[in-house]
Amino acid sequence: MDCALISNGSPPKPLRPDSSSQGWLAGILAVLLYVGPISAAAADGELLPPEQAFRFSARALNDRTLEARFAIADGYYLYRDKFKFAVTQDGAVLGAPELPAGKIKTDEFFGKMETYRGTVIVKLPLSGAAAGQTVVLAADSQGCADIGVCYPPMRQMLTLALPALGAGPGAQVDATPPRKNWFK
Amino acid sequence: MPRTFVRWVSVAAIAFVALVAGMYFNAGVPRESPAAGLLGLALPDTDGREQRLDQWKGQVLVVNFWATWCEPCREEMPEFVKAQAALGAKGLQFVGIAIDQPDKIRRFSQDLNLNYPSLVGGYGALELSKSFGNTIMALPFTVIIDRKGQVAYTQLGPLKPGKLDAIVGKLL
Repeated sequence: MDCALISNGSPPKPLRPDSSSQGWLAGILAVLLYVGPISAAAADGELLPPEQAFRFSARALNDRTLEARFAIADGYYLYRDKFKFAVTQDGAVLGAPELPAGKIKTDEFFGKMETYRGTVIVKLPLSGAAAGQTVVLAADSQGCADIGVCYPPMRQMLTLALPALGAGPGAQVDATPPRKNWFK
Repeated sequence: MPRTFVRWVSVAAIAFVALVAGMYFNAGVPRESPAAGLLGLALPDTDGREQRLDQWKGQVLVVNFWATWCEPCREEMPEFVKAQAALGAKGLQFVGIAIDQPDKIRRFSQDLNLNYPSLVGGYGALELSKSFGNTIMALPFTVIIDRKGQVAYTQLGPLKPGKLDAIVGKLL
């Protein structure tokens, strides 16, 4: 370990008047280097947190159709059959999502699997909601990264205001606004 | 360098180290060591019987977090089955912690001819893997614990057979 190397390399103690202070500094350095491996073990290298690997946003096209959008980062993919959508308002119900065709892969155990990369747009028929009303849309998804890891099923939520009758589509709403970076 | 100045800088540096350490240890890391936390865990097996992980203490324990919805997990598991068969008598013990439902785990365990237990872990078990560095809680995630109960190795993503043999070979 790094700190062992440092202590082996430090000079014997009582040779110079300053040596005790240097010992202190060597000790501090050793502690700093010792903290290093702990943080390294906690780092995940290049892997993105799921909400960044699979960015979910949506808009209301009108009071009868919502449009969900997933922007999938390069090197990541989502499973078509893991998508589930729901609105939480009383009386409002989503119909069957219009999922585009994905890329089909056949697996010995899992059978036929369809995945998405890039951007996926899913139309969601909505009934029982009124123009101008607000609905909370929940999207369940599950995906993996090409380097060989999978994320647990994830639920992302956002709130959409349904446009007034005759008005155009509502604004695109992000489920996870970009995080603040304290170092910039 | 004047000695008092060096002292002053040292004190400031120690304060900084303490601050960093404090921030680190308050960032959701349990007070007990992660390995002790894992070994102290009791989870049901697929028959609903509670299994404590410390029943395997003293062996080289390979704890593999997996799920049936995780394709890369399934791909590496046949290698674990081979290693368990080859090295089990020497003290190697695999234990799966599946983030899944018991019936799915049972079916998969049969399909894969698992020769080691797979316990039923919920989201809490996945949370536990965070303390070993799996901050994004992805799978597969593997922790190798030596005979003394210390963490010898952790791996996010598939563990290559050569790597597994090399690490386990040193510990057995």
